[in-house]
Amino acid sequence: MSRWTVWFRRLYVMTAKEFLQLGRDWMLLVFIVYAFTADIYLAGSGVSLQLRQAVLHVLDQDGSTASRELIGRFQPPNFQMGGWITNGPREALRLLDRGQTMAVLDIPADFESDLLSGIPTRIQMQIDTSNSVQGFLAASYAQRITADFGAERAMARLHAQSGGTRSLPRIVDDHRVWFNPNQNDTWFMSITELLTIITLFAVLLPAAAMVREKERGTVEQLLVSPLSSFQIMFPKVLSMTVVILIGCAVSLSLVLRGMFHVPVRGSLALFFGVTSLFVFTTAGLGLLISTIARNLAQVGMMTILVFTPMLFLSGAWTPPEAMPVWMRTVMYASPLHYFIDTSFGILLKGAGIDILWPEIAIMAALGGIIFGTGMFRFRSQFGK
Amino acid sequence: MNIHRVIAVSWKEWREIVRDRVFFALAFLVPVSMMILLGYGLSLDVEGIPLAILDEDHSSVSRDYAYRFIGSRYFDFRGYVTSERELDELLTESRIRAAIVIPPEFEKRLLSGKSAAVQTLIDGTFPFRAQTTKGYIVAINAAANMDLLAAHLSKAFGISQEAVRERLQPVRLETRYLYNQSLKSIWSLAPKLVMLILMISPPFLTALGVVREKESGSIYNIYVSTVSRGEFLVGKLFPYVAISMVNAGVLFVLATALFGAPFKGSVATFFAATLLYVICTTGIGLLVSVFVRTQIAAMIVVSIITLVPAVLYSGVLIPVFSLDTTARVVAHILPAMYYTNIVTACFMKGIGITSFWPDVAVLAGYGILLMGLGYALFRKRTS
Repeated sequence: MSRWTVWFRRLYVMTAKEFLQLGRDWMLLVFIVYAFTADIYLAGSGVSLQLRQAVLHVLDQDGSTASRELIGRFQPPNFQMGGWITNGPREALRLLDRGQTMAVLDIPADFESDLLSGIPTRIQMQIDTSNSVQGFLAASYAQRITADFGAERAMARLHAQSGGTRSLPRIVDDHRVWFNPNQNDTWFMSITELLTIITLFAVLLPAAAMVREKERGTVEQLLVSPLSSFQIMFPKVLSMTVVILIGCAVSLSLVLRGMFHVPVRGSLALFFGVTSLFVFTTAGLGLLISTIARNLAQVGMMTILVFTPMLFLSGAWTPPEAMPVWMRTVMYASPLHYFIDTSFGILLKGAGIDILWPEIAIMAALGGIIFGTGMFRFRSQFGK
Repeated sequence: MNIHRVIAVSWKEWREIVRDRVFFALAFLVPVSMMILLGYGLSLDVEGIPLAILDEDHSSVSRDYAYRFIGSRYFDFRGYVTSERELDELLTESRIRAAIVIPPEFEKRLLSGKSAAVQTLIDGTFPFRAQTTKGYIVAINAAANMDLLAAHLSKAFGISQEAVRERLQPVRLETRYLYNQSLKSIWSLAPKLVMLILMISPPFLTALGVVREKESGSIYNIYVSTVSRGEFLVGKLFPYVAISMVNAGVLFVLATALFGAPFKGSVATFFAATLLYVICTTGIGLLVSVFVRTQIAAMIVVSIITLVPAVLYSGVLIPVFSLDTTARVVAHILPAMYYTNIVTACFMKGIGITSFWPDVAVLAGYGILLMGLGYALFRKRTS
């Protein structure tokens, strides 16, 4: 047998061993399946960052046609009517304190008569801003609803005065939302969740597989075998990559496309290529962890130390432009940042390699550095 | 239950934790670093949206209109382009998130009192950002229309612009922000990060601690000892609850001192509720450790049932009322949602326990249930 045949044989045997070991932990398998299917379904089917169904209570002291018309404009999707307040402002505050309502609209008694006689009138809204973003959104939607209502009334009066023939200058804003015309949260959430799961497994599984050998001492057996350190480390990454890619394919076809109808506008081959590259890069991170950690408990803690910031700060939740500069710099070192850009680019925008090559190149470079460091540390640790 | 045996088990566990210096350090380091990184980095504020403009009119009115966007702090103007093709490319490459196309004859139509259509293109990849961007554009456009209309009508009717504006806006909405008057996002976020971190780190610590003994086989020492399973569980969990409570204290200090979040409620009530919450999350770790045999499985299971849901269903980013039915059910199954209510009440609202006791009661019940299940399912002999 030639040298290469032996080399590949060894790689094959080690990879088969990893699969066998994984296959025997059925609890782990159950959760891998759960993560790639039900978990992504749950995330995609009911979670939205937009302000939806904010509960509104109304204290209507006027009880007129005009006030009812205005109240009627606070509608889903942004608002939902919680109920009427009859006992005055104290009840309003109590509802807000208990978190039973998000906003309280207070319409004064002479609302309609003021409106009819052309006197400017004020209405009040109290908003729970303990979630500042949502509070701000609720306020701006309410402002828009009120302004539209007022403007329509005013225009009707003006038209009546001028005989209704005058045309008025007006800038009509015709907005088109690209790539996701209905602003379907399902697409965003399910893709983000898939990327999260891929990242989690890519960091954790290879690191754990490596440290388990250390913890049980079986690494000694591997070290005295004719395997090179690459042949010891690489099969762990390879087997986990295969598992993750299968999971990803299942999730993409069953959940994302099958249930949520996520359009795959770009090339699937490119998507899987990028995913493999990302998994390798991130697995390198896991292997680096495994050279630092002595036991699995340490791996667990180090994984959440690395994984959680990566998950939150890679650009899916927080736009990079909203981060402080030093944080943005850290973000550019996260492979997940480039993976998010390329995945959304391929799946939703239909971007090809001609557009995405800089991101892919950076990811490959990061992967090379991380993997190389991991290998170097492993070698120097075990003198191999 | 023999208290000496409980102490003995706790002491053994404590020494095991402390002797693994790295693990011991990580147990405290992980929550602190998460708090600092997420506190500074996590924000849903949408500002500085990269924007490009295609002005096909090149008139003073169109420039004025464009300038309303260029001057806004919500947009980060990346330059004028000369064709729609360029906009296409910029959007696809994610170099811009929004674009405005001002058509030819924009000025001419407006000055002759007609309507002119402006087209805005928004990148919808991230729906929340797209929605907010749309909101900004609508608001800026409305302001431009108001100015235009006021100028036009004041000329037509011969009254002052101020008077016209007054007539055009017969209803004013006054908004009062409760609990966070200045809308500081870190004030909302920091208290919820306490919840998030205490959702993630105690189950990890606990599950790893218990499964470690199972996997290494040292749990057989317990199986053959006189320690009852109740004593074992209480003794075993005590150090982890203690570590997490210390972390809760540190997180509280970080939230108030470093991030300046206001704390308006009672500290004693807050920490009492926190203890209940920590017992709940530790209990989740315990329950996981009963089911799994390996530490790898423990880590994966804990991540998937705590870390991942904590992001989506706990109310840290998304309020629970915005969730759809299935997601809302998940939210109610996890203890995080109830604790979020308590955290918000204590930090931001400053209301007494009379207003949030149902949440405390749910947490207490939850803790008892988890511990009970852990007790019932944990066997001192392997079948």
